[in-house]
Amino acid sequence: MTMKRSLCAGVAVLALMGGQAGARDLKFAPGEDARLNWDSFEAFRQDLSGQELTILGPWLGPDKDLVESVIAYFEAATGAKVNYSGSDSFEQQIVIDAQAGSPPDIAVFPQPGLLRDLASKGFVVPLGDETAKWVAENYAAGQSWVDLATFPGKDGTPGLYGFFYKADLKSLVWYVPENFEDAGYEAPKTMEELKALSQQIVDDGGTPWCIGLGSGGATGWPATDWVEDMMLRTTTPENYDRWVSNDLKFDDPIVVNAIEEYGAFARNDAWVAGGAGGVASTDFRDSPKGLFASPPACYMHRQASFIPSFFPEGTVIGQDADFFYFPAYAGKDLGQPVLGAGTVFGMMKDSPAARAFIQFLETPIAHEVWMAQKGFLTPHKGVNPEAYGDETLKKMGDILLNATTFRFDASDLMPGPIGAGAFWTGMVDYSGGKDAAAVAAEIQKTWDTLK
Amino acid sequence: MDNIAGTKSSLVWAVHLATAALVLLWVLPTIGLLVSSFRDRDQITTSGWWRSLFPAEQNIVYRAGDADTQRQDGPLWVIDGNVFDGAGGEVTAFGVNSRAPDAFAPGAEADLKDGVKLAVQANGDYRLTAPAQFEGRSPRIFVSSVTPPRFTLDNYRRVMFAEGLGRAFLNTMTVTIPATIIPILIAAFAAYALAWMEFPGRALLIAAVVGLLVVPLQMALIPLLKLHNQLGIGKEYIGIWLAHSGFGLPLAIYLLRNYMVGLPREIIESARVDGATDFQIFLKIILPLSFPALASFAIFQFLWTWNDLLVATVFLGNNPDQLVMTGLLRELMGSKGGEWEILAASAFVSIAVPLIVFFAMQKYLVRGLLAGSVK
Repeated sequence: MTMKRSLCAGVAVLALMGGQAGARDLKFAPGEDARLNWDSFEAFRQDLSGQELTILGPWLGPDKDLVESVIAYFEAATGAKVNYSGSDSFEQQIVIDAQAGSPPDIAVFPQPGLLRDLASKGFVVPLGDETAKWVAENYAAGQSWVDLATFPGKDGTPGLYGFFYKADLKSLVWYVPENFEDAGYEAPKTMEELKALSQQIVDDGGTPWCIGLGSGGATGWPATDWVEDMMLRTTTPENYDRWVSNDLKFDDPIVVNAIEEYGAFARNDAWVAGGAGGVASTDFRDSPKGLFASPPACYMHRQASFIPSFFPEGTVIGQDADFFYFPAYAGKDLGQPVLGAGTVFGMMKDSPAARAFIQFLETPIAHEVWMAQKGFLTPHKGVNPEAYGDETLKKMGDILLNATTFRFDASDLMPGPIGAGAFWTGMVDYSGGKDAAAVAAEIQKTWDTLK
Repeated sequence: MDNIAGTKSSLVWAVHLATAALVLLWVLPTIGLLVSSFRDRDQITTSGWWRSLFPAEQNIVYRAGDADTQRQDGPLWVIDGNVFDGAGGEVTAFGVNSRAPDAFAPGAEADLKDGVKLAVQANGDYRLTAPAQFEGRSPRIFVSSVTPPRFTLDNYRRVMFAEGLGRAFLNTMTVTIPATIIPILIAAFAAYALAWMEFPGRALLIAAVVGLLVVPLQMALIPLLKLHNQLGIGKEYIGIWLAHSGFGLPLAIYLLRNYMVGLPREIIESARVDGATDFQIFLKIILPLSFPALASFAIFQFLWTWNDLLVATVFLGNNPDQLVMTGLLRELMGSKGGEWEILAASAFVSIAVPLIVFFAMQKYLVRGLLAGSVK
């Protein structure tokens, strides 16, 4: 009886929830905020009422509210009903669901490597040449975004399998401006200045860097970002691409050099809070806290654009904390390379509603609604940069648009056992004191076994 | 004899001490978790829970009140307040520069630029004065202080009043109760047959069941979900009931069969002689006698399905009407696991129901643990 009763209650609450979801509010009333492109919203209107769409993604909590605020406009424009659900074990869940035959209509992949895997097994529907053409024309560095999401399908023919939406910027150094003022430091413009500043901080009795690699099962990934940034600053983008595809071997002197460039920061006891030994054992979520300690445990922290969520409560970005571009060597003619990442939407089941949703992501309004809130960067050239919700995002958007080279996070592009395995553990070993060449050789050995 | 009596009493003490030490050892992590659940994130990261009961030395960076809280006092503009925001504490030193955060003793006056002066008293009251009106951001005050122990209910508040917790609780119950009852029903019949009914291949069947005990359930996830999809069950409650039942059955059958085999043969045989059918024997004799074993397995299965996240993630959707409590608590931690300070509190919230079940059925658990071990 208990079982039946709770079931009935379940059904009742379910009906209630359904009613609420239908009346999702629009964050900005259509036509009101002049920064947003309402024409694109009106132009997108079509009738899909009665259709349902399920989306599975990695966003939870506040991020989930944000993505749902965008989805609400799709619902308003089409009448379709969208169920977004987030999961923090998205990577595992999507694989299980795809293989068992119950995938969502659309999946939001945090990195393209997994999408490539699933596409090659035939679980993803190609988006078609029209979409590819649109991305190439309308995204900054459009062709590179197309290439990033173009994979061979099950039968081997390459196609566009993913639509990039929401970019992250990785080449950032976070600092507390007032600490810099107190000590009389300036944000450096070149890598040479950055290294000189680090040494000066040590000479003044401080510690320049906070670095933490701990991240549970993914421990080591922050170091892979360091090495990727260093690759872009010590060698050509072409070599970077060859490195991703393993044409350039992992144990090549060029790569070993980049690893050692990272080591120049992370393995220097005087340069890292807690000493080089603390790097691998400090959690990446805790490492930025040193910036805000009294006296400061460190002055700088290199991390991607999402890290402010781990700053102490009440920290105002742009005032209490700020960032500068992780600079390039003035002495090397490599321009202003930027490392980034992004989430990519893949269509798991073909339906008119899913097709329409991908089309919706092409409209400026789908980008601007999230931009006007927080934590969203886009390479979409057709959006109004004034729509960015705060100065910080605008500044990041500028870095993204001014980049002479944009490269995607290499570890996300490498095969899973490397990019989400050997590379991570290798970096932990290296940070712990192992020789760079030996670590690189081991990663290459793992890569060889995959072929 | 006196001797023996004397030895006995000192041994008792040793036993008591050893027991106390062991209990302490086992309970210590739980106590730590309980204490941590009442502390906020910054406290957890800066000091261990064992130090939470004592006044802590802390270096605080405090942002002086906003410029629009200033008032005019004679020729001076003043911003004042308390660096502890009323929470209490004692200032041992303060400073105005991150390079020298403890440059001044409480009560002293520090000079900032442009004639701005700052004084901080030992009780945390500060007074910021300037000859001209304050503009822009107020300066930071660095305070070295001794603060009394401080506990907060925020973690519990966030977990207990999280959106959808009630719903998730219902969902968990919807999963747990049938997933406990179904395997017991099936296993009791099976165990009786394997224990008391003669048929060819019985030993092999028992061996197969024991063999299934070592098969990791992770292996079955994808094929099973595939099967559910093909049968048209998909991601529904019926699917997870079946899955949980299947994963629980080997242990249930093994446990109950071993217990039933140990029941006195005479009772069953005399019942047979009196003309009872197998079903009557099962219903009237075996079931009542096996109650401790049934109850203990029920506790096991209940705890396992209650705590389960993996099976629920695979066989149920992520939408609010199917999200179980473990899934919801995990989601509360946010996309990148940043809100981990609620972990301790959520552990205690989610443990409440299993604790009730455990204490209600505790006496069976102890008896049931021995089930099948002694013949």
